[in-house]
Amino acid sequence: MASIETVGLTKNYGGLCAVDGLNIEIKDEIFGLLGPNGSGKTTTVLMLTTLISQTRGSASVCGYDTIKQPDKVRSCLSYVPQDMAIDTNLTGRENMMVFARLYGIENPKDKVDELLGIMELSDRADDLAKTYSGGMRRRLELAEALVHEPDVIFLDEPTLGLDVGARKKIWRHIYSLNRKGMTIFVTTHYMDEAEQFCDRVGIIDHGKIAALGTPSELKSQLMSDVITVSIDGEFFPVSPDGLNGILYVGNSGDEYSFTAENGREALPLIADALKSSGNRVRSMAMREPSLDDVFLQSVGKQEEEQGFEELKYRLMLRRR
Amino acid sequence: MMKGVLTYMHRDFIRWFRYRVGVVSVLVLPAAWLLFVGLALPVQFTGNYLDFITPGILVMTILTAGISSGSLLMFDKLLGFLNKFLAMPVPRESILVSKILFISVRGIIQITIILVLAVLIGATILNPLQYGIIYLILFLFGVFIAAFSTTVAIYLNDHDSFAAFSAMVTMPLFFTSSALMPYDVMPGWLSTIAHVNPLSFAIDAIRDVAAGNLPLLPIVVIVVLSLFVFGICRHVFRKLTV
Ligand SMILES: Nc1ncnc2c1ncn2[C@@H]1O[C@H](COP(=O)(O)OP(=O)(O)OP(=O)(O)O)[C@@H](O)[C@H]1O
Ligand SMILES: [Mg+2]
Repeated sequence: MASIETVGLTKNYGGLCAVDGLNIEIKDEIFGLLGPNGSGKTTTVLMLTTLISQTRGSASVCGYDTIKQPDKVRSCLSYVPQDMAIDTNLTGRENMMVFARLYGIENPKDKVDELLGIMELSDRADDLAKTYSGGMRRRLELAEALVHEPDVIFLDEPTLGLDVGARKKIWRHIYSLNRKGMTIFVTTHYMDEAEQFCDRVGIIDHGKIAALGTPSELKSQLMSDVITVSIDGEFFPVSPDGLNGILYVGNSGDEYSFTAENGREALPLIADALKSSGNRVRSMAMREPSLDDVFLQSVGKQEEEQGFEELKYRLMLRRR
Repeated sequence: MMKGVLTYMHRDFIRWFRYRVGVVSVLVLPAAWLLFVGLALPVQFTGNYLDFITPGILVMTILTAGISSGSLLMFDKLLGFLNKFLAMPVPRESILVSKILFISVRGIIQITIILVLAVLIGATILNPLQYGIIYLILFLFGVFIAAFSTTVAIYLNDHDSFAAFSAMVTMPLFFTSSALMPYDVMPGWLSTIAHVNPLSFAIDAIRDVAAGNLPLLPIVVIVVLSLFVFGICRHVFRKLTV
């Protein structure tokens, strides 16, 4: 049985379609929902956690329908919202106790002690939460979410604004929870994290799933090398003639990415094509594809479209 | 349900005690009012003005306390706590009930301080039964106001508009009620407003108790009103939170 399943899940806010016909099936895994700002990640999480109701479609968590059996759904999930919500005037332990009591845990004190230990907060448990660092606050929230041993945890951007060390720590905990049998639904826009820790990812853009699969499946849709070019000044579109077998992926700022089966041979071709249409190339680099490139390809940078003959290249890409 | 209500209330009490200024303002403000209006104001409408004004101060205290119930919910909503709580299997109404009860209980603490102070500065001492009935009326009135302000807070989406709402409601209600002067010395227009002001209703009932009567009808009306507004509040809450 799938832990989370959605069928045509749709949410409209007035005329705006925030989530558009989402179909996903998530098993006992770490699932990452990736997408740019405003793509509908939080809206999806809110529907799955019974906090808002969908306009159309249906969703189930642990086999229970989110609309028909919301209480059942709520008792098998935990939700950690995007914006941190802990009582800063309460100590870490008091924060935890509120949750333990609300969930009606048998021995709340023991459970709280145990979780504070797991989340490495024991020595600061009796300090007011306002003295905690961002990483500690996140871990406290995670600890709160674990009080009733949920089957599914929803984490909305759990590493937002944390430094590298704190992010690693959070992910290590997420990983070990999953190995203990919990399904993790996590949203993020850090591609490197998703690539490293998620079993499967879905890339969402404008409320629609643009790509879905394991990180390596998604990367294999690109060719074996990615070539990135930094351009000085204005960008002039190039014509695709003479670039056979080379595909444009997208741009992020003044960095333009291409993908090719043989990067070494593609490098001079791309350089020539760019120069002949008047671009000033500052530097070029070649590397293996990463989830970043998949993201760029499926989402692109809409606001910076530059008349590159993108559509043509996209069509070429479909060939594969 | 009960467990949830108690836990939420416990949380609000800890938060309140931690926030020292909050404790002081809640306890000192009504006392200051009583001293200022009851003693310093050189008016003589009735024999013992302190006895006359005390019910008004009591009801005003419950009013300001009750209005802040919405503010509590507003903060939980803005800071993201509400969403966390709503995603739990605890009955959702217990959030509302806990806010309203917390505010009413805190109001009762304030009431006690005012009553003690009033007696200390010369108000007439009543018998225990009278005090009991006064507490009951004030508690019910507190539930009524708290449920009302919570309903408004569910609708509003930012704290500024809620602050504007509470300022808009509190002072005008107080000054157009029978708190400060008897009906017969009011200008005609004011007397008309004062007669339909729900605040006067509670104030008059308390004065009635102090005079040695049992104002059964007003008590029943207040019970019905609080239940009615709480019902609306619950309905709105259910509708807006799915
Ligand atoms: N309550 C609301 N009323 C109207 N529109 C909303 C509401 N909530 C979200 N939206 C809109 O729905 C779209 C999706 O928002 P959502 O919060 O799901 O994005 P997100 O992917 O979580 O973004 P971010 O990465 O910034 O958190 C946005 O365009 C947003 O403006
Ligand atoms: Mg979001």
